[in-house]
Amino acid sequence: MDGYGQLYAELNGAWAIAKKDIAIYYFKPNIIVSGALFPLFMFLAFAAGNSAGPSVMIPGLIAITILFSASSIEPVSIPIERRMKTFDRLISAPISLHAVVLGESLSGFLYSMGIAFVPLIAGMLIFGTPIISFAPLVAGIILTSFCFATMGTLFAAYPTESPGDIMSMLNLVRLPLIFISGVFIPIESIPSIGQVAAYFSPLTYGNDLIQAAYHGHTHFNPLLDVAMLCIFILFFQIFANQLYRRWNE
Amino acid sequence: MHAIEVDHLSKHFGTLVALNDISFSVDEGETFGFLGPNGAGKTTTIRLLTGISPPTGGTATVFGKDIVRETTAARKTMGIVHETSNIYDDLSAWQNLMFTAELYTIGKKEREQRGKELLELFGLWERRTEKVHGFSKGMKRRLTLAMGLINNPRLLFLDEPTSGLDVQSNLIIREVIRDLTSRGVTVFLTTHNIEEANLTCDRVAIINRGRIAAIDSPERLKSTIQSAQSVEVAFDRVAAIRQDDLRQLYGVSEVRKEGDKFRLFTQDPSGVIAAVMEYATVHNTRVLSINTLGPSLEDVFIKLTGLEVRTKGVSTVD
Repeated sequence: MDGYGQLYAELNGAWAIAKKDIAIYYFKPNIIVSGALFPLFMFLAFAAGNSAGPSVMIPGLIAITILFSASSIEPVSIPIERRMKTFDRLISAPISLHAVVLGESLSGFLYSMGIAFVPLIAGMLIFGTPIISFAPLVAGIILTSFCFATMGTLFAAYPTESPGDIMSMLNLVRLPLIFISGVFIPIESIPSIGQVAAYFSPLTYGNDLIQAAYHGHTHFNPLLDVAMLCIFILFFQIFANQLYRRWNE
Repeated sequence: MHAIEVDHLSKHFGTLVALNDISFSVDEGETFGFLGPNGAGKTTTIRLLTGISPPTGGTATVFGKDIVRETTAARKTMGIVHETSNIYDDLSAWQNLMFTAELYTIGKKEREQRGKELLELFGLWERRTEKVHGFSKGMKRRLTLAMGLINNPRLLFLDEPTSGLDVQSNLIIREVIRDLTSRGVTVFLTTHNIEEANLTCDRVAIINRGRIAAIDSPERLKSTIQSAQSVEVAFDRVAAIRQDDLRQLYGVSEVRKEGDKFRLFTQDPSGVIAAVMEYATVHNTRVLSINTLGPSLEDVFIKLTGLEVRTKGVSTVD
């Protein structure tokens, strides 16, 4: 098979894996709780007693919704598939490990894209929150969703058959990200060590783009936001590939 | 060209040596059995030959494709039926089959036609739209085998294909394996079921503790231990027979109780037959049947792996 033929096989295989995940896992109760309800309650916790208006809160809600929903599918699906031995079916198929990682990430990405529309539409219809610029919103939602879906796949590489093991590790990373990434507290207002840490958080750049859609200004150059999210995606994809190779012996 | 060629293959997990410098080849169209007790290295060998796990040392090729450097090309030629029925319980039989076909980049028309043929062959067509979680163990196993055949493989890996199955599923699977080999498909089968290896395989490798103890046809392996001849006898009053008494008979070296029969190992079957008949007369019992038996593959297996477990004179294979 030539290079294009193999590329087609890889993409076709990745898409098959994503479709399989959509059919099986999207409506599992633990995914609905961690991917959809958890960010809603996080938002309500921040919103209570916060005098900021919807135009400040809605972009933040979109950002954390993407963070939780995109990274919730694989940490549940992959340990279950290890336990049922169906994961062996994926890693013994005539596609590369990159295609498996891509396929798993795609399902988280699509799930997140769907869930992110809920606060987006609610902001427009219920609160009348105006969107100033669509380009950063689209770029922000797409890149942030894919970035955190790949991060979820990366964490799911840990060789366990229990989703709880991975969720515990993942929450150790996800929860601090909310505080250091300027989601509800501007980066300028957080302690200096937090400001340094913000540079290493993909949520910082995703949130920056989404905020730009509502406020018209960004903390960083939007092109830098896009570039940083692309770098994180590439890093997570390559690192995940390495971990799956090492831990699936 | 060999279907499989393995050269000094090793696999270590830390200090544990799962496979220790094994070499063998499998001809195209051959049914090759990998026989060994649990933990002998059978599944590890399949994981290495299918590219799931990289070897620590040595090489393996499938139809000339190196399984480490040309993994994807090698996998296209093979079907894999894992030890566990690894199917998606939340999908239907049809969805499981189509998903596997998509992983192999089989076009829509072809995969639907092939899927229908396979589900009919395995007696699952009528239940194709049902979710698999309601299927019996045998039905799941049949579906797993169908998924392993969806890409029309030249080489089929079967990891313990009939372990713990009902009679109907067993028969269907054995018939399919026979049909595949008649059509020139190479079958690599791991099993701890000696009778299955004896009935199905052209050649058998006996593996124990990560090393291959012997490779040959079942009949040749049996001929290597002609000393293990035996006499199988059934009495009409089994409860009245004491194994210790039988062990004392002329020429008997060992006694095994197998169901309602006794198997007496000896180098002099005719002498033992005479002694058994005399024993029956003395103990006022009748001999219902008596047969002389050559060594079985199980005897070879026990001899080569040393897996005899003795409990009150009854010997079994673990």
